[in-house]
Amino acid sequence: MSKIYGEGENKVTALDNVSFSIEKGEFVLIVGSSGSGKSTLLNMIGLLDHPTIGKVFIDGTDTTNLTDDKISSFRNKKLGFIFQFSNLLTDLTVLENVLLPREIAGTINSAEKNARELLKAVGLSDQMNKRANKISGGQAQRAAIARGLINNPAIVLADEPTGNLDSVTSAKIVDLMKTMAKNLNQTFIVVTHDRQHFGDVDRVITIKDGKAFEGNASSEMEVLV
Amino acid sequence: MYQLRLAKRMLFNKKGSLIGAVLAVTIGILVIHVNFVIFQGLFDAIVRDISNYRNGDVLVTDEESYITKSDKSLVSWFERIPYVKAATPRLSSTASINMTKSGTLHEKTRIPIVGVDPLNDIRTSTVHETVSDGQYVYSRNSIVLGSNVARDLGDAQVGDSIKLKIVDRYGQDQIRRFVVTGIAKSPGGQGFDYSVVVHIDTLRDMMNRHGESSSVMVKLNDPSKANDVKNFFLVAFPNDDFKAETIEESAEEQLAGFRSGIAMINMIGYFGMMSSAFAIVTIQMMLVNGKTREIGIMRSIGATRKDILIIFIFQGMIIGAIGAGVGTAAGLGYTFYAKETKMSFNNSLPLEVSYNWEKIIQTAILSFILAIIASLYPSYRATKLLPVEAMRTV
Repeated sequence: MSKIYGEGENKVTALDNVSFSIEKGEFVLIVGSSGSGKSTLLNMIGLLDHPTIGKVFIDGTDTTNLTDDKISSFRNKKLGFIFQFSNLLTDLTVLENVLLPREIAGTINSAEKNARELLKAVGLSDQMNKRANKISGGQAQRAAIARGLINNPAIVLADEPTGNLDSVTSAKIVDLMKTMAKNLNQTFIVVTHDRQHFGDVDRVITIKDGKAFEGNASSEMEVLV
Repeated sequence: MYQLRLAKRMLFNKKGSLIGAVLAVTIGILVIHVNFVIFQGLFDAIVRDISNYRNGDVLVTDEESYITKSDKSLVSWFERIPYVKAATPRLSSTASINMTKSGTLHEKTRIPIVGVDPLNDIRTSTVHETVSDGQYVYSRNSIVLGSNVARDLGDAQVGDSIKLKIVDRYGQDQIRRFVVTGIAKSPGGQGFDYSVVVHIDTLRDMMNRHGESSSVMVKLNDPSKANDVKNFFLVAFPNDDFKAETIEESAEEQLAGFRSGIAMINMIGYFGMMSSAFAIVTIQMMLVNGKTREIGIMRSIGATRKDILIIFIFQGMIIGAIGAGVGTAAGLGYTFYAKETKMSFNNSLPLEVSYNWEKIIQTAILSFILAIIASLYPSYRATKLLPVEAMRTV
């Protein structure tokens, strides 16, 4: 797929003919320098934006022609999101934030037990009734991970999940994501500019000037086309 | 229903915005209630005083001239109807009056003069209660002066002697001397402040209209039966050229201008409510702008545009419901205060305050609906935010 912003002289190609597939259970890093197009790529995969050319297939579904409501429903059921800043709704408690995707899906019955288990797994069992703005940044990211997993999504998408955290907390969040991915056989696609925080992962895709390369950025990289 | 819970949380966590929006609705409703209490109260007070002092609930006159039928038979006919409290005849004309006081002659012409039957008049009308000094007409040579007439006659007082001249039905001057027995002054001036009152039989003698009356004033126990009584009467006396009117009909000329004034004041009240709606639009827009990132997060985790629309419309409903409740309570509080204190301005006539439940409920519902309508555009704007753009807002 390609993503082009603007027209004529103002045309900017953010993603240039990028194509790859990810298998279930893989932990994939998308790395690249600032402005390389990695967040744009994540937004395409997350159906938050549309490619100018090309298609995104998730769990066997061509998402190109889905209506806005279908895309919302698809995001709700098939995707989990973790963002860099303020992931949570500050008007709700931590538990309510984790339950929100289930409420939106209309499958709230019996969800609370699941949410409590997830919060326990991410180490927030003693924080779940606090308002989301009363917990630390690291705890908020943990809660976001729990929320991202509550609907058993096909993919969890994380956009710079450690970008706003100190190094100690970042390491804990990375460990947590990797543990959850392994334990739940959960696909994670993580965008980061900080490759070394993540250690060993299943795959690394590097975005450079809108093009995608398999592996770490180097002269021997295999272009993903 | 998570949208309602979220709407409540978002709103109650922004107490300043909530209070501002609720105040806007409250003030809109309060303006309408205050307008109603003052202007409708004033209107109803004028109607009340015209009814109590002059026209009764039903006023019988003759289509052409004077009522020649015996006033006693008419009064007893009316008083047989259970709805009727009392009835009384009156005779009206104009007179010239003069009085010499401290060697100076004071003279006034074209003063309205009303002849009353003292016994029936006290039962039918409350105008006798406006006699602030002395007492009401009680004998054939006693006269009650309206306060303005008394002032124009050089501050006439009870016990003074005055000379009154009228022109009888044959064009002859009829002059008679009276003793002032009372001075009438009504709050608001709807009573006999600009008239003089004498015994009806005395006036009949002077006008040479024995047994005749200008009108029969009928007061009812239940004013809502005025039309029934009027119709009974007209059916009972089909060939007598009688004209019977309810208070709304007989006072129409005096009230027409006031009625359109009230309509205009009500319009101003509703414009006030529209201003409240604009305030809600502004506050809701602020709430939407303040929640842009949250809207983006909700959209990213699967909330549809409709879900977002519902959340902000719920906020409008909450604002409308609280505002309508508080505004109606404040309006009822003001109405209660005005009623209990018999509110009046500058010692003028006390307002006739009533609880118009239909209007109260209508105003509350209207403001609730307006708050929802005012929330539609901000809610629609919220749905138009693209998740990826919304989440860039920090």
